[in-house]
Amino acid sequence: MPGLRSLTGALFSSLRSIVHILSLLLAGLFLATSVAAEDAPAPYLTQLLQQARQARLADAREWHLLLHYRANLFGGYTSEQDDPGFFLAPDGKTNPEVELDATLRQFFSPDLVGRSKQPAQCAFVARYAWLKERLNVDPSQLPPMPCERFERWIDEFHARSVTLVFPSAFMNNPASMFGHTFLRIDQEGQTAQTRLLAYTINFAADVPPDEGLAYPVRGIFGGYRGQFSTVPYYLKVQEYRDIENRDIWEYRLNFNEQQIRRLLMHAWELRHASFDYFFFKENCSYHLLSLLEYADPSLHLTERFRFWTVPADTVRVLAAEPGLVNEIAFRPSRVTLIRRKREHLSDMEQGLVKRLVRDGSIIESEDVRGLPLSRQAVVLDIASDYALYISERDEAQVAISRERNRQILTARSLLRIPSEDLKILPFAMQPELGHKTSRVSVGGGWRNNDTYEEVSLRTAYHDLLDPEPGYTPGAQIELGSISLRHYNRADQTRVERATLANVLSLSPMDSLFHAPSWKLNMGMQTITHGGCELCSNWHVNGGIGAATETHLLRHEVLFVFAEVEGNYSRAYEERHRVGGGASAGFYADLTERWRMLASTTYLRYALGDKSDDVRWSVAQRYTVAQNLALRMEYNHRDHDNDVLFTVQAFF
Amino acid sequence: MLRKLFVVLGAVAMVSQAGLVMAANPDTGPGCGLGKLAWADYKNQKNIAPQAFMALTNATFMNTFAISSGTSGCTNDGQVMADQKTTMFALLNFENLTQEMAQGKGEHLASLAALMGIPDEQHPAFFALTQERYSDLVQAGETSSVALVKTLNDAVSRSPVLAQVVSR
Repeated sequence: MPGLRSLTGALFSSLRSIVHILSLLLAGLFLATSVAAEDAPAPYLTQLLQQARQARLADAREWHLLLHYRANLFGGYTSEQDDPGFFLAPDGKTNPEVELDATLRQFFSPDLVGRSKQPAQCAFVARYAWLKERLNVDPSQLPPMPCERFERWIDEFHARSVTLVFPSAFMNNPASMFGHTFLRIDQEGQTAQTRLLAYTINFAADVPPDEGLAYPVRGIFGGYRGQFSTVPYYLKVQEYRDIENRDIWEYRLNFNEQQIRRLLMHAWELRHASFDYFFFKENCSYHLLSLLEYADPSLHLTERFRFWTVPADTVRVLAAEPGLVNEIAFRPSRVTLIRRKREHLSDMEQGLVKRLVRDGSIIESEDVRGLPLSRQAVVLDIASDYALYISERDEAQVAISRERNRQILTARSLLRIPSEDLKILPFAMQPELGHKTSRVSVGGGWRNNDTYEEVSLRTAYHDLLDPEPGYTPGAQIELGSISLRHYNRADQTRVERATLANVLSLSPMDSLFHAPSWKLNMGMQTITHGGCELCSNWHVNGGIGAATETHLLRHEVLFVFAEVEGNYSRAYEERHRVGGGASAGFYADLTERWRMLASTTYLRYALGDKSDDVRWSVAQRYTVAQNLALRMEYNHRDHDNDVLFTVQAFF
Repeated sequence: MLRKLFVVLGAVAMVSQAGLVMAANPDTGPGCGLGKLAWADYKNQKNIAPQAFMALTNATFMNTFAISSGTSGCTNDGQVMADQKTTMFALLNFENLTQEMAQGKGEHLASLAALMGIPDEQHPAFFALTQERYSDLVQAGETSSVALVKTLNDAVSRSPVLAQVVSR
């Protein structure tokens, strides 16, 4: 038996090798014929290639938009797209002409290409549609292939119009003032009540969880891949409105049917590709703009953002395009909802809201039941919103506040009346009404017994005294600013101040909301200390505190901070000092255009140069126009008294 | 606890759904294959969101939603898929839906009504029905979103006003 087995084994293995050789031969033959086919392209392809060259299609703006080519500094082009599967020629990323030829050639083939594994006509539907139209392609000589996957995908949108969505800053985080943008594809037959069901087109970085310190570095230098996704709008609303408590602005764009189709066709091509994600420039908003540009090539959007793309700026740019935005809608965050609804409550009812969330048995108390039905409904509705707010905010309270919400809602359902429609107004106006993000200031003044002229430049973004419309109240973030001063008597020109980052968040506390205020400031300024006049002093300052608001005149916010500070300067003994202290202050809107900010600080330095510091300042701003303001500031600091008048322009 | 339940349920729903679609097509459509990771993901995001840099730069953990992950699979083919849309919506919007049911109105509830094929002019009747049946619906929803939708459908078909307008 073993003999027989080895015999059949040998037979089999020799048979297998014969088959192997045969198949190799066959493959060789195949290869030869396909090479031959490439050597002699279809006559119609040759004709199309020629036509394309004559029409200089590879230089056309639309071709460059489709392939995301950008002109290089020293001639030539490079595509911003970083996925090799996006190109059909090996050097397609840098050669628009070769890529166009390869694309035309591939349109004749049913071979599956790209990461989405489809025939080229289907994987790159927008390129196909554009070339077909420009070259007047004869369908009998280049037959269109059925693209079922694409057709099903595009039908699923039931697209009727396109809306740009901008979630504004969330509470207590000025950094989020830069915002985010994505598109919503509104559906046929959609009403204001069913917008939630529409799909969105969102571009975001693909960040693995727990990235930690590598995150900023990789983010700034393009270490992450950015990808488009299409998530139902209700999930985005949950993310921004319910969880992060950000108000949402929706801008309906005036695109016609054909433009919407172009947008979706290009989005289909990009779905399977990826861009390296650069936080500052090639970010979420930037690539949405490039999508809009292809939808309507008469728009020139991305080229306006050379160094960085601030999402709020992109909203400004779109809103400024004549006739592009035809409807603006506001969607309040949960916190805005609570704060606005609360304005309709009496003090007693406000107290009830708080007690209801703390203690479920209050529901059956005479305090609640004694109210008219409609008032009970209002109180229970706000209490439910507040319970949901707590459950999203406080990890430890999730279970209990959900349980409380159930109780409140059960009682609410038994009232058997629908809630009243309340018009919820935003606290911050929409972003395009705000000043632009960079600022230049020119002015002069007195310091001690000298006079000076001053020029300042701030790259971004907003401080407490800047005109507030379009920005989150009480939020400040300044990045990268520098002030140059010329002192006339000392005849000296110097860097007077510089800011790396200066962030401040004032969150007024009240019976329902208790978020602390905080600040962080890094930079340098000029001081007089220990016999050194006009000395540079570097500082790092951080503080935590509380704020409250009043409406005595129009709107006032009062704040106090406990803070720590470290200084470095050659004016100090041992060149440094570290200490702590406190500050207090307020800002008040005296008129719609006129704001005043005053503060005082006392700091005592226990390490290094043992000293203390008393500062106070009073500053005022008057808004002349959306992008023009006047300021007058008085600053006292230790031995220095400084008065400064400036004109500030935003650009 | 409830959240975890939803994650599991969502995952089950998604796997079965993905299986259905995958058989026909390895990579379909705009992908609403979100059920599986939606909650877990959001929890993560909530913790991270307050970090200034995160907010500054707008990166979200969209990778779990990425179309390339293969969890997607939601096309609009016929009745079966429409049913899944409703279940998915009910699953992912449970908190908002129950709130609006108790309050007798709201856009989540209106969207659910639209998914169930209830015409706009009958929405007030639908809202009143969900308010009336609030406790049953929540109880069903805490078991599964499938049960929630089923209870809703039963209630609608037993309602003299609504049963007529909803074709099934």
